[in-house]
Amino acid sequence: MDITRQRSFLHDEAQFARALARAAAGAIIFALPLLMTMEMWELGFYMDRFRLALFILVTLPVLFGLSYFAGFEETFCWQDDLIDALSAFAVGFLMSAALLTVFAIVRLDQPLPEIIGKIALQSVPASIGAMLARKQLGQQDDADRERRIRSSYPGELFLMGAGALFVGFNVAPTEEMILISYKMSPWHAVALAVLSLGLLHIFVYTVGFAGQESAGDDGFVSVFLRFSVAGYGIALLISLYLLWTFERIAGLSMMELVTATVVLGFPSALGAATARLIV
Amino acid sequence: MADIRENDIASGSASRDEDGSASVSRLAWISSGLGLLLFLGSVGVLGYEGITRGNGPPVITATVEAVVPAGPRWLAHIQVTNDGGKTGAKVQVEGQLMAGDEALETSVAEFDYVPAGSEQKGGLFFDRDPRAHDVRLRVLGYIEP
Repeated sequence: MDITRQRSFLHDEAQFARALARAAAGAIIFALPLLMTMEMWELGFYMDRFRLALFILVTLPVLFGLSYFAGFEETFCWQDDLIDALSAFAVGFLMSAALLTVFAIVRLDQPLPEIIGKIALQSVPASIGAMLARKQLGQQDDADRERRIRSSYPGELFLMGAGALFVGFNVAPTEEMILISYKMSPWHAVALAVLSLGLLHIFVYTVGFAGQESAGDDGFVSVFLRFSVAGYGIALLISLYLLWTFERIAGLSMMELVTATVVLGFPSALGAATARLIV
Repeated sequence: MADIRENDIASGSASRDEDGSASVSRLAWISSGLGLLLFLGSVGVLGYEGITRGNGPPVITATVEAVVPAGPRWLAHIQVTNDGGKTGAKVQVEGQLMAGDEALETSVAEFDYVPAGSEQKGGLFFDRDPRAHDVRLRVLGYIEP
């Protein structure tokens, strides 16, 4: 793909307007399950303000990285990726605000911090959705460039982390994450961890989804350790971070904490495995 | 960033600056500027709220706002206010119509959440006209969300 098309994307008014409209569509589609989840509205006003502020802060580098890896620009120009990331945040925030207002979750007679909290929390998945939409609903990207970036090991890990964050976030706010972990015995947790790791490896290297990695000449053990185990580790860390952010782990014993992390680690691991499909 | 913006306006949307990167369309500047504003604004509001809200327990009070007829019965509109630092969940409010020390009637309402620093509204139904009696409102308890 030639440089002109890549560049014109950010630099042509009409093209950029279309990209914004696509981003808005993506924000709605990807954030819809969470926009209509009761726990998300409640977390928006009662969760710890600093944890919520930190969560919003973390979102921006994720958007920035997605912009980089989703490949809009021929060369890595951080200003353009920053513009992309901030635009996606604006779209996600405004779409969340509009839908929450229509759902009567946000009303003008509520205190400002409550309104901001509800919208800001939703704007995390919505803005990631806005960023993904440009990839999913938009034109095809420069395949060579993508392959190049994705073949870099940190790039792989980032993509797995972003996928884990996105899919994990979709279920992390619900009560069920903790409820399931209460029901499970330690043996169930071990089985789920093994299942998560196995599926992660199989999804990435075996079943032949679009964007599947080829194990290449590296041996099974090397690939398994470098990608699947590392990916599952990232998925678990992100699960723990999400549980902490949503204040789901206060007062849990170590055993319960590990079980809850493994439970959320299951969707997160699948997100990491399928990051190539959605990112 | 500022000099890039000037460069953009000065040189028009199709030209390139010396580094070879194209200038950015005005719409891109507007949307990303808006994004920056919303980003800093929400982080700022949340951070300010986190600093000023304090971390104390919920302090929840209930007041009767108005009494209206509701079919054959009476409805007392109530409002609960949380001036504490934390949100209370499953907040139970009990209203009693008093004749001296004796409770003639008791009604209960439960609020799913009373967020810190905010108000929630509800109502209590009574068989007798609350305006003719002393209404005693008590916030019974809450759980942490």
